[in-house]
Amino acid sequence: MATSRYMRRRGGWLAGIGWPLRAGGIALFLASAALGGIAGGQLVQLDRIVRERFEGTLFRVPSRVLSAPLILYPGLDFELIDLRGTLDRLGYREASGDSLVLGRYRWSPRELRIHRRAFEHPSRAEPARIVALQLSGRGIEGIRDLQTKREIGALFLEPEQVGAYYGPDREQRELVRIEEIPQQMTDAVMAVEDQRFYWHIGLDFWRIGGAMAANLRARSFVQGGSTLTQQLMKNFFLTPDRRMKRKLQEAAMALITEARYEKPAILEAYLNEIYLGQRGATQIHGIGEAARFYFGKPVRDLSLSECALIAGLIQSPNGLSPHRSPAEAQARRDLVLRLMLQQGKIQQDQFAEATAEPLRVATVTPDLRDARFFLDALRRELPNYYGEENLSAEGLRIYSTLDLRLQRAASRVVREELARLEKQSRFLAPKGTQRLEACLVALRPQTGEVLALVGGRDYAASQFDRCTQARRPAGSVFKAFVYAAALEPASGAPLITLASALDDAPLSVPVWRGTWTPQNFDHEFHGVVPVRTAFEKSYNVASARLAQIVGIPRVREMAQRLGIESPLPNVPSLALGSGDVTPLELARAYATFASGGIRPRVRTFEDVIDARGETLERQSIEFERVLDSGTAFLMTSLLEGVVEHGTAAGIRAAGVAGPIAGKTGTSNEYRDAWFAGFTPEMVVVLWVGFDEPRSLGQAAAQIAVPIWARFVKEASGGDVAGIFPVPGDVAELEIEPTTGAIALDGCPERRAEFFLRGTEPVETCPQWRGAPTPPPLREREERPSEEPQRQRRREDEEPGLIERFRRWLEEG
Amino acid sequence: MRRNRPAWFAFARALACVAVVFAGACAMMPGAATRAVSPRPTLRVSELAQEGDARRRASTRLVLDGLESETRGSENEALARYEDALKVDANNPLASLALARFEIFAGDADRGLAHLDRYAALAGGRDDAAAHLAGLRGAALAKLGKQTLAAPYLEEARALAPAVWADARLEAGELR
Repeated sequence: MATSRYMRRRGGWLAGIGWPLRAGGIALFLASAALGGIAGGQLVQLDRIVRERFEGTLFRVPSRVLSAPLILYPGLDFELIDLRGTLDRLGYREASGDSLVLGRYRWSPRELRIHRRAFEHPSRAEPARIVALQLSGRGIEGIRDLQTKREIGALFLEPEQVGAYYGPDREQRELVRIEEIPQQMTDAVMAVEDQRFYWHIGLDFWRIGGAMAANLRARSFVQGGSTLTQQLMKNFFLTPDRRMKRKLQEAAMALITEARYEKPAILEAYLNEIYLGQRGATQIHGIGEAARFYFGKPVRDLSLSECALIAGLIQSPNGLSPHRSPAEAQARRDLVLRLMLQQGKIQQDQFAEATAEPLRVATVTPDLRDARFFLDALRRELPNYYGEENLSAEGLRIYSTLDLRLQRAASRVVREELARLEKQSRFLAPKGTQRLEACLVALRPQTGEVLALVGGRDYAASQFDRCTQARRPAGSVFKAFVYAAALEPASGAPLITLASALDDAPLSVPVWRGTWTPQNFDHEFHGVVPVRTAFEKSYNVASARLAQIVGIPRVREMAQRLGIESPLPNVPSLALGSGDVTPLELARAYATFASGGIRPRVRTFEDVIDARGETLERQSIEFERVLDSGTAFLMTSLLEGVVEHGTAAGIRAAGVAGPIAGKTGTSNEYRDAWFAGFTPEMVVVLWVGFDEPRSLGQAAAQIAVPIWARFVKEASGGDVAGIFPVPGDVAELEIEPTTGAIALDGCPERRAEFFLRGTEPVETCPQWRGAPTPPPLREREERPSEEPQRQRRREDEEPGLIERFRRWLEEG
Repeated sequence: MRRNRPAWFAFARALACVAVVFAGACAMMPGAATRAVSPRPTLRVSELAQEGDARRRASTRLVLDGLESETRGSENEALARYEDALKVDANNPLASLALARFEIFAGDADRGLAHLDRYAALAGGRDDAAAHLAGLRGAALAKLGKQTLAAPYLEEARALAPAVWADARLEAGELR
């Protein structure tokens, strides 16, 4: 019964249709249902893809590293800091008319007026302001805020981009919110790309029809009908091919997106996503980044003509690039402006003014290739939770300590000087893949900021950073720690003063496998010599003997206290620099001398800011006193002597004047050439050598000193400013140089010398009572130094409480 | 007629003499507590704004900006200004002094002592700085929990500059 009823019902509405047709109809129905199901499934899947993108991380934004802001202040040499070049790189343009609009400057012989843009900074946020810099010669005499009519002490310019931590796609973008984008920017984009954006549903059928007609007329694909939403879908999810399947997916996704999201959200995504050019290997995406790249300014400050130029680039960013094809770029810009006029977005006078504006774009500043060593060092300094993934996607802003001017100078000097050296000597010429290498690191000693860091001559060829990752024998640069240990009155009287004498006579020190007999560079012995001469001329034997008097453990302890972290061997040859150290460690240790005995913490960044502007990290100045200011000053004075009369006299010959202190270092068989030196405000350590150690054939004085001198000359203009302040616990006296006695009237020879108070000589000239004799060495020479040193009590160290009290009473 | 005193009396007298001499010596030792000091003018950065060359003056100006920011409650901005002052002139003692004060009262007392140490090396001899040097050292030691060591320094600061150091604090406005 049931069966007949069913049949009857079916027979009812299919009555009169033959079975083949009925079967065909059923098949068609099933096929349609299946297709519908598949299409529905596809749509659900596309919807999920769209939602995941829009509601997840819309963009991966590489974190960018910014330089230290340039501080302008009265007294500064504006030529030296290349102020005009800096303004140009920052996108400032010389004003043409009377008005000084934002981002323009006017330079006259006596005055520079700048309408400085506002900029964001975690601790130095600055509003826009118009300032006048009074100029005299090469110097800034004063700075005045023209709006408040007040003198200001210092003016900050925006930091420049040093580089970024890209992902594998090397896309750079600066995200902008729709509220920050000027109306004329969105108008320009819509005028040329999608004028009915606010009216369509993701597909513009009118435009599609027009495009089809044009393509049929041309019998080829000459025109597309894509809306902004379709373009966005293609860029987000799809390939650029023109197959029907891809076009259908694009259309479906555009419809879904328009159904789900508001127009401003879609427009914002589009304007941040769109590809707009190329900086070397880096892709420029989004109008925020394009505004920085082409005009050096934030998008909110773009003029109408600049907005039109960027909008015009969307069609063919490289073909219409204003850097490569300015005429084509200008023509395209004018076309955009005309479209805007026709669509009523701008008035005739605006059109006339914007088209009359000459094409002015910022100088292309590719990421500093040579700053990549610095970027790597910074990444290593960041805490572990800033992994590669976070850095390449989270859009952090890292405010670094890098001084871009010094970094550029350091890279240039290293590159050019190594090329010069290679031509100069067969020892230095490349052999196979082995080329001469160098590293240069510059710190500000008082704050520990890394100002410049060049880890090698070519990052593309080798990413190995010789400043922070390479440990090489320090050579005579290490002697500074021997003399510091001897001069320091750590516990009791110091072992030597600067008026003492050292014995530069043959020395044999028993060591584990025989006897160690140091030699001088000239293979001669110089007898009893003043401490200054021994240090300035870098006499090995006298210094090794002094290290024996001081004790190798104490020398090691001094080096570690000043900032050396590499393991140091407990051997007599440590005194002459047989220990391996990194240039950065040496820079830190020498910075301790330069800053009066205070060891700074080395830092490469100040602040890390997330994409919302929240501060994630802040590194303040940190330091610790590890050496008394008097001893640090005596060492500085000794190191100054090396530059004035010793192995680094080439610095003066190179034309660098002012206070400079430093020490040369050449390792065994001339394998490493060093110069570690400082001015009152900068420590610079330079190393030259081969990665696979081999002889350089020359000493550091010939190899390292000229490079160091050239860098400091470029950094300072040849006249180093400042002084090394004499601390209160140091006295200056006139002495007789050979005996070290106080020079009185009638003394035939005299020179000024520094002493820690309480360590001044007691002998006088002419009534001097004999030259101080070198301390006895025999007893210690006989003890093998590789054996662990036993704790021992010496007359000249660790006096007891009673003895200290007695001395205090005696000294009054 | 002279009466013979027992041996213990001579010993006690010698002991008393030694105690008197030792106490006197201790009183003269550096850092010993209460020295007789009288109030004297105290250092204010604004009064030194015109000292030094153009660079020093620009640096001091930044110190003043920092003190002003601190008075307004913008501590991060103030810290940045003090650090900028060091960048402009690394040997400006006033920048070190301002940083010392900032760290001691709003940051890390150890770091503050290091800045103070640097200030003392650069300009410790100034007579008008004595109160701040003593007071800041005392405040730092007190913050580090070393109350006994801190007390004489704070007392000295109070004696030298009662108007400023009476509350054992140095406000940004008072240094400005």
